[in-house]
Amino acid sequence: MRKHALVIDHESCWGCKTCELACKQELNVAEGVKLLSVSEDGPKTVDDKLDFVFQVNVCRHCDDPPCVDACSEEAIVKREDGIVVMDYEKCTGCQACIETCPYDAIAFNTENDLAQKCNLCHHRVDKGLVPACADNVCLAHCIYFGDPEEINEMISKKKSATPSLE
Amino acid sequence: MAEFIYSNVKREMEAYGYDSVVKSHCRMCHGGCGVLVYTRDGRVMKIAGDPDCPINHGTLCSKGIASAQLAYHPDRLTYPVRRVGPKASGKWERISWDEALDTIAERILDYKERFGAESIVMGYGTGRENEAVIYRFANLLGTPNVLTAGHFCYGPRIATSIITCGSNVIVDYENHPKCIMVWGNNVVISNPDEYKGESFSASLDRGAKLIAVDPRLTRIAARADIWLQLRPGTDAALAFGMLNVIVNEELHDREFVQNHVYGWEPFIKRISEYPLEKVEEITWVPKEKIREAARLFATTKPAGIQWGVAIEQQVTCTDNDRVLMALMGITGNIDVPGGQVLFRTPKIRTASQFGAHKMLPKEKAAKRLGGERFRLAGNFAIINPKCVWDAILEEKPYPVKMLFFISSNPVLTRANAREVYRALERVEFMAVSDFFLTPTAELADIVLPAATWLEMDYVGDFWKRHGYILPRRRVIQVGECRSDHEMLNDLAHRMGQGEHWWDTFEGGLDYILEPMGITWQNFEKMDYVRGDVRYRKYREKGFSTPTKKFELYSTLLEKWGYDPLPQFREPPESPYSTPALFKEYPYILITGRRLPGFFHSENRQMPWLRELHRDPIVEIHPETAKKEGIDEGDWVVIESPRGSVRQRAKIFAGIDSRVIGAEHAWWFPEKKDPGHGWEESNINILTDNAYTDCDPAMGATPVRTLLCKIQRGEMEGGIS
Repeated sequence: MRKHALVIDHESCWGCKTCELACKQELNVAEGVKLLSVSEDGPKTVDDKLDFVFQVNVCRHCDDPPCVDACSEEAIVKREDGIVVMDYEKCTGCQACIETCPYDAIAFNTENDLAQKCNLCHHRVDKGLVPACADNVCLAHCIYFGDPEEINEMISKKKSATPSLE
Repeated sequence: MAEFIYSNVKREMEAYGYDSVVKSHCRMCHGGCGVLVYTRDGRVMKIAGDPDCPINHGTLCSKGIASAQLAYHPDRLTYPVRRVGPKASGKWERISWDEALDTIAERILDYKERFGAESIVMGYGTGRENEAVIYRFANLLGTPNVLTAGHFCYGPRIATSIITCGSNVIVDYENHPKCIMVWGNNVVISNPDEYKGESFSASLDRGAKLIAVDPRLTRIAARADIWLQLRPGTDAALAFGMLNVIVNEELHDREFVQNHVYGWEPFIKRISEYPLEKVEEITWVPKEKIREAARLFATTKPAGIQWGVAIEQQVTCTDNDRVLMALMGITGNIDVPGGQVLFRTPKIRTASQFGAHKMLPKEKAAKRLGGERFRLAGNFAIINPKCVWDAILEEKPYPVKMLFFISSNPVLTRANAREVYRALERVEFMAVSDFFLTPTAELADIVLPAATWLEMDYVGDFWKRHGYILPRRRVIQVGECRSDHEMLNDLAHRMGQGEHWWDTFEGGLDYILEPMGITWQNFEKMDYVRGDVRYRKYREKGFSTPTKKFELYSTLLEKWGYDPLPQFREPPESPYSTPALFKEYPYILITGRRLPGFFHSENRQMPWLRELHRDPIVEIHPETAKKEGIDEGDWVVIESPRGSVRQRAKIFAGIDSRVIGAEHAWWFPEKKDPGHGWEESNINILTDNAYTDCDPAMGATPVRTLLCKIQRGEMEGGIS
């Protein structure tokens, strides 16, 4: 089975937050709940140069997801294609998954007492559509969806580009 | 399963049961991006970028995606209203369009008869693609007074580029510059005018060298090969320093200078007045860095300067634009592939022709407010806002009796906001067209419900200088909302201007397109039209200037009584120009950094966008914060000699410890009283608009560079 993953090239991210809006438009989750969020990391001094980057935080769909084990209701499952899906019907709002997630990537919706996270738009993926945030919305083209190995190859190729001096 | 394809329209329609998709052209900023609008049962369900559009290649910004939230916002004004209580009482009653427009027409005709057409000032804010129709209305009415942001935003780039080389010079990202110098701009957040961040980003991905000139560490500055963190307001001096390096090291394009430049000798004499040591002292930028940047820019070709509005909102506005054009010109980057191109618009009626400027009688043009003082602005039909406030408050040089603001919120967006507010309280009659009852609209007599871009047909981008036009197609109707174009077309008929207008505004669209031999009905079936692309056109016909050359020495500025050569002017408030004031107000205040989601005073009522940025934020260097006892997230009172407002502290090492960075145009639509919190965080309460502090040619107000003091805590008078 082909693996599906979201890969983000943070070096290229401009912090425009269009991906956050694409996610909101797709899922219309409650105000204050973000399944994907962009934040500033820095500024800090690196090699005598002041630097800062943006970080897009979203579920990593871990290979061995601790949230799956933490959920006593078996509401979270890892699919064969790699997508970690949370079933909101089964969630009781105990927040054990939120505590166990090392990336702080699971949100809590206080309106209905449910945990919520990025399910990698599996409803789209299953119909052959690209997840909303990765569907060519990003002006930096820095959010990739597909097989992680292929994507990393593409990114390193892009990074080694030099201006052609025709 | 078939391959995943980006923006798979057919599959998207099937999967979600959408019943139609309309290609259109977004206008959440100045316009520009091609979009796909998906609908079901006549309602907008999803907005996506159009992958076939040459402007944005399918990408979009947060504002564009949130457009449906604007269109269907519960607070939106969906019918005309008339105020029934005192100004700012929040008491309104619904009226019909007929009654609204008849009342406005009656008042206009009455003031015109009693005080002259010049007593009526039309106004718009930032570019909302209604400029040409507003100018047309004003010129046919006979008033020379259209109050816009043109004195300090984009207008200066248009005016100075026309007098220097005939038109605005646009970076040719399609042919990938090898060096990009971003000057006072954050193109990836603001997508300004002719540009979208996507094409800039793509050129960087192809390996272009990057130089950033910015007092703040933006992500662009962080990613740059060289970041020049200048003292705010010293851009011209920095550019002179770079010009010095280029000329002294003979890195300029000799052929271009010899054959196509006017005024080289006096120009190099002028730049010699700015040796690097002096420039370092003025700008706080080490001279080695200036030299390094100048060499990189001059020797990496083609190169472009991505300039922005920050350099125009200063006392040195006209000349900031001119010295940057000098850098583009003498390095041989004008009108070359991958450089800065004088793109040709398709063969249509231009915004200037549509605006009917020639129909304004000469004696009326001579009455343009401030036209004698700010003569470059006056020649481009642009006025300085204070001239309008003074004409209302002091009736000098003549009384202004009526304001008609269309998509403008000057209480938030013009300098010296308290004076603006007083003038709006005083003016006899004010009409407004907008989406919401803004703090400005709350002072109006009649407010008209304006259509969003989803509710209109239009020839998108026809005023721009990137050479494209794109159809904006109407998708929905909301309440009784009307586009500004339809509204003015109707009003013009009621005013007796009918012969110059059309039955419906579709006739106006046909009029724009007529020289191409097509109608709107033809155009709306097209994706876009692009003008002929040709480079180095000046080699055949010269530049469209009086001397046919690229004018480093401006013969027109000379004719209008200005120094024909550019110069640096010290900001009117600074540690050096006002040392006594600096003792009391010990920080330089810069304003107006660009934020994702907001467009000046717009969008703070849209949940998806406000969620990106809840509060107004002031950036303070860690050392300064420590000295002033301010912690992250504290409310901070920022004070200038004009007044004080509060914003929340962000401790930010990317700004100089002597500089404070505040946000602009904040109001709080969630506050339901008629003031909507316009006084709380509105940075223009702090800015000044004295004539002597404005750019002498353009009338630009220096809202980006002033002095302030800061302290932790609440303001006196207790805003909670």
